[in-house]
Order: sequence, then C-alpha cells, then structure tokens
Amino acid sequence: MASKKSDIDGDDTLFGSLDKATVVQEARAFNESPINPKKCRLILTKIVYLLHQGQTYQTQEATDTFFSISKLFQNSDVSLRQMVYLAIKELSGSAESVFFLTASLTKDMNSRSDLIYRPNAIRALCKITDASTMQSNERFIKQSIVDKKPDVSSAAIISAIHLSSLNREVVKRWANEAQEAINSKGVITQYHALGLLYLMRQHDRMAVIKMVQNYARGSLRSPHAIVMLIRYTWKIIEEDDSGSSRQLFEYLENWLRHKSDMVVYEAARAICSLKDVTPKELFPAVSALQLMIVSHKPTLRFAAIRTLNKLAMTHPNAVFPCNLDMENLITDSNRSIATFAITTLLKTGNEASVDRLMKQISSFMSEISDEFKIIVVDAVRALCLKFPSKQTLMLNFLSGALRDDGGYQFKSAIVEAIFDIIHSIPESKEFALSHLCEFIEDCEFPKLAVRILHVLGAEGPHASSPTKYIRFIYNRVILETSIVRAAAVSALAQFAVYLVDARERIKVLLDRCTDDSDDEVRDRAAMYLRILNEQDLATKYIADDSTFALAALENNLDHYLKTPASFSRPFDIKNVPVVSKEQEQADRQRAQAAARDRAATGQAAPAASAAAAAVPASVSEAAAAAASPFDAQSIYAKAMERVPQIAALGPLYKSSSPVELTDPVTEYIVTCIKHVFPQHFVFQFECKNTLNDSLLENVTVVMKMQPSDDPDAAGLKPEFVVRAEKLAFDIPASVYVVYRRLGGVTPTAEFTNTLQFIVKDCDPNTGEPDEEGFEEDYLVEDVEIVVGDYIQPTYVPDFERAWAELGDTHQVVETYALTAVTSIRSAVSTVMDLLGMQALDNSSAVKENATTHQLHLAGTYVGGIPVAVRARMAFNPSTGVAMEMAVRSRHPVVSQRVANAIQ
Amino acid sequence: MMRGMWSSLLAALGLLRRRANLLCVGLDNSGKSTAHEEVVPTVGFSVEMFERGKVSFTIFDMSGQGKYRDLWRHYFSEADGIIFVIDSADRDRIVVAREELALMLENKVLAKRPIPVLFLANKMDLENGLSPVECSEALGLDRIRDRAWNISACNALTGEGLEAGLEWIIDMLRQAPPQ
Repeated sequence: MASKKSDIDGDDTLFGSLDKATVVQEARAFNESPINPKKCRLILTKIVYLLHQGQTYQTQEATDTFFSISKLFQNSDVSLRQMVYLAIKELSGSAESVFFLTASLTKDMNSRSDLIYRPNAIRALCKITDASTMQSNERFIKQSIVDKKPDVSSAAIISAIHLSSLNREVVKRWANEAQEAINSKGVITQYHALGLLYLMRQHDRMAVIKMVQNYARGSLRSPHAIVMLIRYTWKIIEEDDSGSSRQLFEYLENWLRHKSDMVVYEAARAICSLKDVTPKELFPAVSALQLMIVSHKPTLRFAAIRTLNKLAMTHPNAVFPCNLDMENLITDSNRSIATFAITTLLKTGNEASVDRLMKQISSFMSEISDEFKIIVVDAVRALCLKFPSKQTLMLNFLSGALRDDGGYQFKSAIVEAIFDIIHSIPESKEFALSHLCEFIEDCEFPKLAVRILHVLGAEGPHASSPTKYIRFIYNRVILETSIVRAAAVSALAQFAVYLVDARERIKVLLDRCTDDSDDEVRDRAAMYLRILNEQDLATKYIADDSTFALAALENNLDHYLKTPASFSRPFDIKNVPVVSKEQEQADRQRAQAAARDRAATGQAAPAASAAAAAVPASVSEAAAAAASPFDAQSIYAKAMERVPQIAALGPLYKSSSPVELTDPVTEYIVTCIKHVFPQHFVFQFECKNTLNDSLLENVTVVMKMQPSDDPDAAGLKPEFVVRAEKLAFDIPASVYVVYRRLGGVTPTAEFTNTLQFIVKDCDPNTGEPDEEGFEEDYLVEDVEIVVGDYIQPTYVPDFERAWAELGDTHQVVETYALTAVTSIRSAVSTVMDLLGMQALDNSSAVKENATTHQLHLAGTYVGGIPVAVRARMAFNPSTGVAMEMAVRSRHPVVSQRVANAIQ
Repeated sequence: MMRGMWSSLLAALGLLRRRANLLCVGLDNSGKSTAHEEVVPTVGFSVEMFERGKVSFTIFDMSGQGKYRDLWRHYFSEADGIIFVIDSADRDRIVVAREELALMLENKVLAKRPIPVLFLANKMDLENGLSPVECSEALGLDRIRDRAWNISACNALTGEGLEAGLEWIIDMLRQAPPQ
C-alpha cells in the first residue's frame, strides 16, 4: 500500500528518498533477536522497492542480504514470511548460493496447514532452482501441481512453465499431474494447467489437435481456459494449409453460443482473423459482435468494435450489416470506441456518407490521444485510396491535422499517408505537394523534413509549375539545421537536372551552398554542380532511380577486399542484384508488415510466442527474421566466410531458403540451405541436437546422388566436406558438402542424405561427455536441386520492354496441366517457389477465386544471364490449373532449363 | 520426529529464558535431521521452532553436505549455542569432522563468542561405533579451552542420550545469558 502511494506522491513519502546504503544498514535488523516482524517487513519492502526502481545489488551485497533474510525464517509471522518470499524472488537473480534456501522452502511448501504462503514458497522455489537442483525438487513440484488448493496448484503450474525453459525434458514428465490439475475447481488453475499441457505438446501438432478435441467437449468450466483453447484452435487452423483441420472450425462456432462474454468474444475474434474465412463462416461471428457493440459494458463495446474495425480492412461487406449500430457509437462517451466506430464506418461506408463522417471526425480529433489519431489517419488514407474523388477533402483533413499539435509518430503517420496518396493518385500530387511545402515551413522534426524534401525533389520537377517549389526548398537551406540543408541541396539538384530553363538559376543557388558551414552540405553542392555540367553524369547519377540490393552489395565488396588475388580484375557489379527504389521500399514495407503480423500473432497466442522466444537463435532463424531474402543471404555468406575452404570458392551467388529435412520434434533437427557459387554448389546442413544427455562429434553428411535423367548431373563432382567437430545440446552447428560444377553446369538432381557422427553420452547437467562413444548413422529426408536455386530474382522497371528486348529467338513455350493445385493463387506460389524469380507488375497478387491470371517473372541465371517468364493460367474446378509458360533469355539452354523447371 | 522430540524435551526441562538460538551442524549423514521424517539430505538449512510458555527455541538445522559447509558461518553471530553432531560409526570421516570443527572454531565471529558446544556422538546403537571418549580423542576436543563443551552419546532414532546432552546445554545457557 505504502509503495503504491509513493508512486503517485513522489519524494515526500517514506520511500521517496531511499538510498541503497541506508537500506543495507537497516537490513542488520534481520540479525537481531528477537525479530521484530513489522520492522523487518518494512525493510524488505524497501529492498524490493529499490530493486524495482532499477537499483542493482553487487553479487556480494546481494548474497549478504540474502543470508540475513534467510534468518527471518525463524519467525513465523505470516505477512513477514510472504514478504521474505518476495524479496528472495527479487534477489535470486543477483545473489550467490540461493539454492541454500531449498530445504526451508520445501518445508513450507509441504506444510499441511492452510498456510497462506504455500504458493509464495513454490514461486520462490522455482526462482532458486537451477539445472542441478531441478531433479531433486521435482517431487515437490509434482506433488504441488495436484494439490487440492487451487492457489497452490496454480503456483506450481506456473513454476513448471518457467522451469521448462531450464529443462524441458523433466517438465514433460509432469503431464499426468497437469492433466489432473485441469480438473481442478480453481478457475485460474484450469487455465494455467491448459497452458502447461500446451507447452509440453506444442511441437506435436497431432497432440495439440487431440487436446483441443478432448477439452472442447465441455469439460472446461473456466472461461479463461476456454479462451486459451480457442487461441490454440485458431493457431492449428491457421497453420494448416491442407484444410484438414477445418472440422475444428465447428468448435469455434459452438463457442459463439457460450454463456461467458469472454469466450464468445474470443471465438468471434478467432473466426474473424482466420486467413481464408468465407462470408458464410463470418456471419455468425459478426452477429455475435453486433450484439456486443450494443452492450452496456464499455469493455465489450470496445473489444467488439476493434475487432470489427480490423475485419473491415479485409471484409468490409461482412461488417456492413453492423453499420446502423456503429453509427450510434460515434457519439459514445468513450472516445476510443467512437474512434474505432468512425474509422470502421469509413471502411464500410459508401462514398455518399464520407463527407458526413469526415465532419464528425474533425470535431473530435482534438479529444483523442495520438495513438488513436494515428488510427484515424490510417483509415483516412485507406479511404482516400478507395474513393480517389474525395482526395481534396481528405488532403484538407490531413493537412489540418499536420497543423495540430502532435508527436512524431502522429506527424509521421500523416506524412506517410500523404506520400501514399501522392503515389497512388497522380491527380492529387500538386495539391498534396503544396500542403507538404507548407508543413516544412514550420516543421519541428528534421527527420520528416528530410523525407519531405526528398519527395519534393523526386516529384516536384514533374509537376506543372515546378519552379514554385524551389523557393520553399531554398528557404530550408537558409533556415534549417545541417541535415535538412543537405537534403534540400539534393532536392534542388533534382530540379536542376529536369528543368533545363531553370538550371542556370539553380546553379547559382547551389553555388551559394558551397559556402555553407557544414561539410556535408558543401560536398553535396559541389558534387551536384560538377554533375550538372555534364549531361551524361546527370542522367547516370540523378535520373536513374534503381539501386543495388544493399546487403548483397556490401557482402560482395567485402569479399572482394578480402581476397587480394582478385585485385587484378575490377570488381564485378553484375553479380549484385539490382532493385528499383520501389522494390526496396516494397521490401521494407513487407518487413514492417511482417513485424506487425508477428506482433499481432504474439498478442493472439502469448504462450506460444513466449515459448518460441526461449529457443536460442540459430543462423537460419536469424536469417528468417531478416528483412528480405538478400539480407538473409548475406547472413549465410558471413557464416561461410569463416570457413577458409568455402571462402576460397569466390563470391556467393544465391542462397535458397532453408528446407527442413527432419520433423521439428526429432532428436536431431537438420535444415538444408543450398548455395550457388561461381563453380560450385554448396549444401549447408544446419544441425541441432535436442538431446541434453548426448554429445555428437565429428559430424558429417554423406550425400548420394539419385540416378537422374538430367545429363548434366554427371557434371556435379563431390569435392570436399567441412565437418562439424561437435554438436552439443541446443547449440546448432553446420556441415558443408561442396560439389564442383564442372564447366559451370546447372543440373537438377536429387540426393539422399545420411548424417554420420560419433555419439557420446554426457551428463545433462554439466555437459561432461563420456570417454567412449559409438558411431551412428541418422537418415534424413532427401534434398533436391531445383532450377530456382540458380536464379537470382531481379527487378526490371518495365517488363514489356525487357520481354521485347530479349526477343523470341530463344523463346521456349511449354504447356502444363497443374492438377494438384486447387486455385490460381496456389499455382502462382508453386511456380514462384520453383523458379525463385521476381514477380513484376504486381502479378504475384491474385484475386480470390480468380479464374485466369497472367504472371510476369524476371531473374538472372547464374553467370549473369537475364531471364524473363510470362505464364498464363486458367483455372477450371474439375481439371485444376492449366498453364502456358513462355521463357525468354539470350541463351537457348537456359530458356529450356527454366521452361522444364515445372514438373 | 526429532522436531517433536526437541520440543517435548525442552518443555519438560522448564526453561526460564525467553529466547535462544541453537545452531545444529555436523557432516552429512551424521544424523542432524535423520529424524526429520525426511530421507532426502537437507539442501541448505531448515529452521525448527517451538515455544513453551514464554520461551521460544529456534534450531537452525544446517546441511552437512560438503558444498554447503562454508555457509554455516553466516549463522554464527546469532547462535547462543552449537550442537555438533558426529557419526560415531563413520570412522573414516572422523578426520573430516575434526577439520571442519577446527575450521569452525577458528572462525573470527565464533572465536569472539564463548558460546557452549554440545557434541552428540550419534548412532551409538551401531556396534562398531566409537565411544564418546574415543570420539573426543579423535576430534581433539581436549584442546578446546575457550568455551564450555560436552560430549554425550546418543541415538537420534530413539531419542536416547539426547536428553542428557540437551540438559547440559540448557544449563550452560542459563548460566551465561545470551548476548
């Protein structure tokens, strides 16, 4: 209580002016005899308070304090004991010999009385348990999990969840206890027990499905537990591509009729966020949400409207029936609910209602927080893209919002929205640019000013009266900080390149910039002045907006600099994939969207994601988290640089995405990544040992090529293998198998793979291996070289032109009937997987239920040969997808190979 | 069991003092908490408490396992008396017990505090056990000059011999009130 008060009042309370030294002195009271429980409790509170304020204790200090606290066990005051446990938990991270309390804690845990602190003891025990004491404490925790008292049982289950990061195998043995605890009377205990069961089974899909089926039939009484079960169900359905788990959908639907609001809401939300949900499936969920938005409970209204808002982005028609009820929410006294209502209506509404809604939004913009303002801005942006004719209204609204007070996030959202509008509605450009010019006149965020100047430079020269922007830009040169001045100089140069009439006058302005006090500004001005004097340079450096894939470029340069032998030849830029600005932006946006998605799913299944986070990252995991495939490739390349034999193979051309060769639940997990080098093909087997009682040594992979009808396959000759010296528990290591491609052949082939190693038993606690080991083979799944492994995706700005330029001299056309795929969408993703090429003209996006589609792909075959693919597809429900694929390149063999890639 | 035994014993003796802390130490498997209904060795320490009338007794039962022994010292400063339990049947490790005892008595904190030490030669029921006299020789108890000490044979399982030992230490405590 006291500490709560101090949070509000600040310095003038008991805890306001605490300092650590005094508290350490005071802690001597713990050694007094007799113990004064009240006094000690207060001191403990101070210690915990300081720790929460971010004070750290040195190991010695913490240990001393810890031991004096241990003496308080001689007093049996209940409140003091609870406080002792809190303090122990907080100090357990920094003190030594914390296991010392084990006996005292287990004694409290097992006390038969109704002592209130038994759960506290369990939670503290979990904190002081380490891998070496875990086995000896196992008995106590198991016993507590099945305790009749729900609070004791819950504490034990939560401890088990925490301990599973310490030793998963031991915790897995507690499945029976967890199952028993699910039948506990305690509402929260059921919830916790379900979480623990899931943790034990999460890597076994079938087991999770069984668990859902088992408990969905009504044995759970706790709404919290059912909510958790709904999330697991959602996850199974979501992760399943085959559609076989669709039967679980019925459970979700049944939960919509549950008597607890919480369950109904969670079920509705789960249905709404399923990826391939049909309008028919959505209907009952939306009806349930509709009932909630007229509820008298604000929390329900908020939750429901927020879900509807999200649903409206993807399925506006499904939300349409709620429009009338949502209109009433606009005047809701809770502004957050009103914001969501309005933005939802903006998405579902028709063009006619937009004006009215916009007026209403403007009236309460000043009443809501930045966070919700951003939601409104996003909605307005989406609306503007939907109804381009309303852009004037929207831009006025946005620029009005720009003038209002607001933090960086908010302003940045508006500026992004305006950029988007400029990008997609060309008519709006001039109007939007003039708003932006006005904004930078008085912009407190240099970061935004720089971005706006950049856009002005890119778009301004192509406007109808470009010269009017020059004044705004030059004003920045006079008034702003150096970073903004530098951006303004670059923008001016853009104008100078495109506006021949104004060039001389702009040069005068740039000339003045060479007197600037900042190096960067002067350098830029000088560089542009020089470039402007030569038309060739100007087109090359200013007008061309394509750029190299930066991660790949960095890597190639790095490799070049590290191999002095290559200095005789100039650096070959052809191996670096070229991307357009748009593509780079798209990559970045994808990465952002992925990050948002991750955040969203993290919200949906916190237990699952927390467990995932506990697994240490391996190379491929790090790569998976990378923003784009090029970034992933550079991560692999860096790892291989450290292996001298592989570093000698030259620059890495292309890395495939990782292929799993084992089930994720087996004893050894093997993932394969294929790398193409100028004259070699490298298989990287990333292995992970999931057994904590064994150590693998001298790990290698024996690959056997299957007989192939590809004559070039004979050109693949095994060259050498880089073994992994040892593979300890949970520490991934890689084995590299290197093949030479004689004459640079690019065959397809299939290989069987066997992991060979010497296995030694070791102590799970210390990792100390036995002397003696024995050899073992471990068969993993086959790996295949596909044509796509040799192709680097490339971006070309204009597919039609590139297509025409390549000509039909070496065109190969093939027709395929893809019977195994069930939609155009999956056909497109199959083709793209096999070819590994870049989709152009947004042709990778397929409308739902499309019956025809044209896919444009571009790539560079190893050796720097550009390839383009045009695939026409038609879908017929009875026969599958028929596809005619035309491939063009300058090389007949390459065209043929790419055309044959689909089988 | 021992918990019950301690308390009933002390109660029977009708102590006058309000509060006293006893520290119970010794090698592992010597029988400190034999009696504790637990077959598992003590990890760290455990506190046993009992009150009778106005008197409260606290026994810190320390773990005897090697790695915990250096943690005893944290509790010396509060102890009013020490009970050192010896496994009289463990002839091999009596030397270790001797070393630990010497180490304990050399401790700075304890050296300044002349609190009494009671030695319990436990497991006297076993045939090959050392007698109290042999124990005292093996441990070099005659060299302890700075504090009162006593040794008595006992059997923690039955409680035999405990009474006499405890009577002595309580007597000592009565003579010299705790600091």
